Amino acid sequence: MGKRKGTEHGELLPGTLDLLILQTLTHRAQHGYGIAQHIRQTSEDALQVEEGSLYPALQRLSLQGWITSEWKPSENNRRARFYRLTPAGRKQLGLEVSNFERILGAIRRVLQTA
Amino acid sequence: MRKLLRRLRFLSGRTQFEDGMDEEMRFHLEMKAREYLAAGLSPDEARAAALRTFGNVPLLKEDSREVWGWRWLDDLLQDLRFSTRLLSKSPGFTLVVVLSLALGIGANTAIFSLIDAVMLRMLPVKTPEQLRQVLWVSSSSPRKLRLHTSYSTGFCPEIAGVSSLNSGCSFSYPTFAQVSEQAQAFSQVFTFTWAGDLNVIVNGQAALASGELVSGDYFSGLGVQPLLGRVITPADDQPGAPPVAMLTYGYWERRFGGDPTVVGKSVPMNGIPFAIIGVTPPEFFGVEPGNSPEIWVPLMKKDALTPPPEDEGKDMPRGQGEAVLRAQAQSDFENRETWWLRIMGRLKPGVSDSQARAELETIFHQSIIVGFSLVAKPQDLPRIELRPGGKGIDALRWHFSKPLWVLMGVVGLVLLIACANVANLLLARGTARQKEWAVRQALGAARSRLVRQLLTESLLLSLVGGAIGLLLAYWGSRLLVMMMSGGWQQINVSVRPDSRILGFTLGLSLLTGILFGLAPALRGTRVDLTPALKENPGNLAMRPGRVRLGLGTLLIVSQVAISLLLVIGASLFVRTLVNLETLDVGFNRKNVLLFSINPTTNGYSNQRLATFYRELQDRIDALPGVKSVSMSQYALISQSYSSNDISIEGYKPKPQERMDVGVLGVGPRFFETMGIPILLGRSIGVHDTVTSPKVAVVSEEVARRYFPGQNPIGRRFGFGDNNPAAIEIVGIARNAKYSGLHPDHENGTTVYIASLQEPKHLWQMNYEVRTAGNPMNWAPAVRQAVQSIDRNVPIFNVKTQTEQIDETIVNERLFAKLTSFFGLLALGLACVGLYGTMSYAVVRRTNEIGIRMALGAQKGRVLEMVLKESLLLEALGIGLGLPAAFAATRLVKSYLFGLTPTDPLTLLWSTLGLAAVAALAGYLPARRAARVDPLVALRYE
Repeated sequence: MGKRKGTEHGELLPGTLDLLILQTLTHRAQHGYGIAQHIRQTSEDALQVEEGSLYPALQRLSLQGWITSEWKPSENNRRARFYRLTPAGRKQLGLEVSNFERILGAIRRVLQTA
Repeated sequence: MRKLLRRLRFLSGRTQFEDGMDEEMRFHLEMKAREYLAAGLSPDEARAAALRTFGNVPLLKEDSREVWGWRWLDDLLQDLRFSTRLLSKSPGFTLVVVLSLALGIGANTAIFSLIDAVMLRMLPVKTPEQLRQVLWVSSSSPRKLRLHTSYSTGFCPEIAGVSSLNSGCSFSYPTFAQVSEQAQAFSQVFTFTWAGDLNVIVNGQAALASGELVSGDYFSGLGVQPLLGRVITPADDQPGAPPVAMLTYGYWERRFGGDPTVVGKSVPMNGIPFAIIGVTPPEFFGVEPGNSPEIWVPLMKKDALTPPPEDEGKDMPRGQGEAVLRAQAQSDFENRETWWLRIMGRLKPGVSDSQARAELETIFHQSIIVGFSLVAKPQDLPRIELRPGGKGIDALRWHFSKPLWVLMGVVGLVLLIACANVANLLLARGTARQKEWAVRQALGAARSRLVRQLLTESLLLSLVGGAIGLLLAYWGSRLLVMMMSGGWQQINVSVRPDSRILGFTLGLSLLTGILFGLAPALRGTRVDLTPALKENPGNLAMRPGRVRLGLGTLLIVSQVAISLLLVIGASLFVRTLVNLETLDVGFNRKNVLLFSINPTTNGYSNQRLATFYRELQDRIDALPGVKSVSMSQYALISQSYSSNDISIEGYKPKPQERMDVGVLGVGPRFFETMGIPILLGRSIGVHDTVTSPKVAVVSEEVARRYFPGQNPIGRRFGFGDNNPAAIEIVGIARNAKYSGLHPDHENGTTVYIASLQEPKHLWQMNYEVRTAGNPMNWAPAVRQAVQSIDRNVPIFNVKTQTEQIDETIVNERLFAKLTSFFGLLALGLACVGLYGTMSYAVVRRTNEIGIRMALGAQKGRVLEMVLKESLLLEALGIGLGLPAAFAATRLVKSYLFGLTPTDPLTLLWSTLGLAAVAALAGYLPARRAARVDPLVALRYE
């Protein structure tokens, strides 16, 4: 069977899912469902993410060492895996945010002059 | 790096990960469903909606897993499981493949273990790469330059383009002393030399042990720690220091039963009590690992241990031997003309070889010209050379390196044949499995994935073969060492599987697996899908009636070619051995027992010694079943050879005429005992004693050369420039071999002098006992006879004359045995290959043959048709193999005796033999084809 790239939803810019996850985790540890909820609510449903695609992304970030996880009881007392930002992840987030803004700014400038 | 750690941690927690992933996604889906439920959907609808927004669960799981980069491992495990299942379904195939690979890989590993042990392994000492061995090289013989008059060569590495007379590795003691004092390039300099066989009495039992004299810095210079006790130190190596000795591990085990309280015990050696101070570790065999001593003694104890040698002429008693020529009775520690010590040094870090060499050369030149009327011009003085000493000095390496490489080539070819065989079997299997692969490819499997799976299968086969091969090699290499040990006194090659051998086997197995697996895998998976799916796979392969020049054919042809090459090689070596074994040595080699004694190690000398020898001769003669007994300086064909220039009364040598003859001291009745006919005059008898006139018997060749057309009886000669009338010739003996079988060992001229008239030759004696039956049966009685005279005189080198001769042709026997074995193995493998391929072709063509027969083809025609094909393959193989043999056998020319590398008779018989065996392998399937019943064949599908 052919090798398939991890799914990133077409409606997101490439790489932005990682950015959104890292940003979501800045304030507190959160489980996968919570992350999906948060992204959807704060973006006011504008960002449509196929929710499952969070999970490969979470593994990718764990491999990089930007997030860690632990099992804890959730709000309704079910066991859930909570992801937390590591110091390295926090640094990475800063990097990616400034990177993203630079690109966004550039795109905006191009759009305005056109 | 951390990432790798995280990856590995992931791998160790695989199952937790899977469970965690399941639980996590389930939790997500439930929460999502709850959300939809709250929005008013029915439970079923809510679940479906949750799944929809989530995405493809198994796929997402797989993606999550793949992030960690272990997919290849999963695939590999899956392939392995599949391959194991498949192979266990056809045990016959698997067995044949694994066994032939095990034999091929095992043979290679066995030979490689020896190469590793003999040639590649470093000494087990501290930083061996810093060690240097010191050699001298001269433009002409230093003896001619009158630099030294006496030297001991020991074993010395050969220097390309320099005669062994003009180079060497022994130095005088003053040179050593000056080097160790002055050389700045070395942190330590030490020396060592053979001490001779020491008579060691342990618990009242006298036996000889090989001793080595070492300077006080020997052990600290090498950095060897003792297993027990302490090592010899510079304090032990002072004149007048109490006598101490160290034992090697093997000797300690053998003679002292590994007794840990041995340290501190006093043991008589050559009559002098030595205190045992320590035992060396088991892996340490000295710096000559192939020729290890058993006892180490401080250098300063030399004079106490060794009776001064009394030989004249260049004696070569120990194979490579040592030549001792004593000019004056000066101590070896003062004499600058006696070169007898081998020097090694440990280079200081940062010092280059050329710096060290230049420094040593200056010191060396200073030490040799002191107080010496120099004949040589300064530019003629010998140069100094340095050689890496980290692997030790090894006569074994010199002796066996070429044979080992030849054998490596042979086993390499055997492995190639085995590979070809397995590839052929896989090809045949591949044809049968083509439908399966076509189906899998049609269902979307990538070809690369299929190839990978097939390679996994062949690697699995080759690794299992390699593992079994490693076991075979373990036994095989021990067997080889035993076979090689024949001629060398004792071979301390420890063949143990080290990381290099394991690496070699692993690498070889992997290479083998890819070699035989890749082509069939690529070939098998290259399928045009439609016909493969539609047709019966049998019809795909061979077009009827024609040999297809495909991969399979090529493999068979090359197998036949390679096995022909090996069979020819084997025949050459076997015939060489036969030639050597049936060579007329000039005496009767059957039923002779040989042994040596050296009573000087128990204090005998001069007249007492002569009396001892005569007494022993009489006692053995009186033993029942002993027909005759005599003695000689050396045993015949023992690679010991003494030679000297003669001057003959009334004979004027022509300019440049060679006047050197072999000289052998013999006792009474030597010629009768050995069965060498006396052609004229008399032999040497009991009446030829110290007090009677000196006599000699000369060989026919001496008579022919120096007394053409005259009667030599009554003529006189002498050795060197001394009195040419000293010895009278009393007899002429038929020519007999002296030191070895090869003609280049000597020129056939031998002068037999009376040992008992020459006290100088008396320090060691070899006895020949002609017996009425198997000589070994007399060994206990002979030993008894020696002990009845003096139980502290050890008897050694007990063997038969036939064994003695066999020892000198170890390489030839090794080659003959091993190449025959591998030649037959190769032939067998090639025949199995031919048989297999042809049988398979017949099975696939059963249908076609049935039709032919139904249409009226005779059995004979069918037989002929199939046989023709295999004969054609065979002929092609022979056509390729013969020129290859022509080219390859030249490489082993120096190991052949009595025939040329392209001996026509050998080539003819080998080819015919191979053709006959291969024809049989092709005939069997052909006969099966001829027996095909058309009715059965047509109903076949």
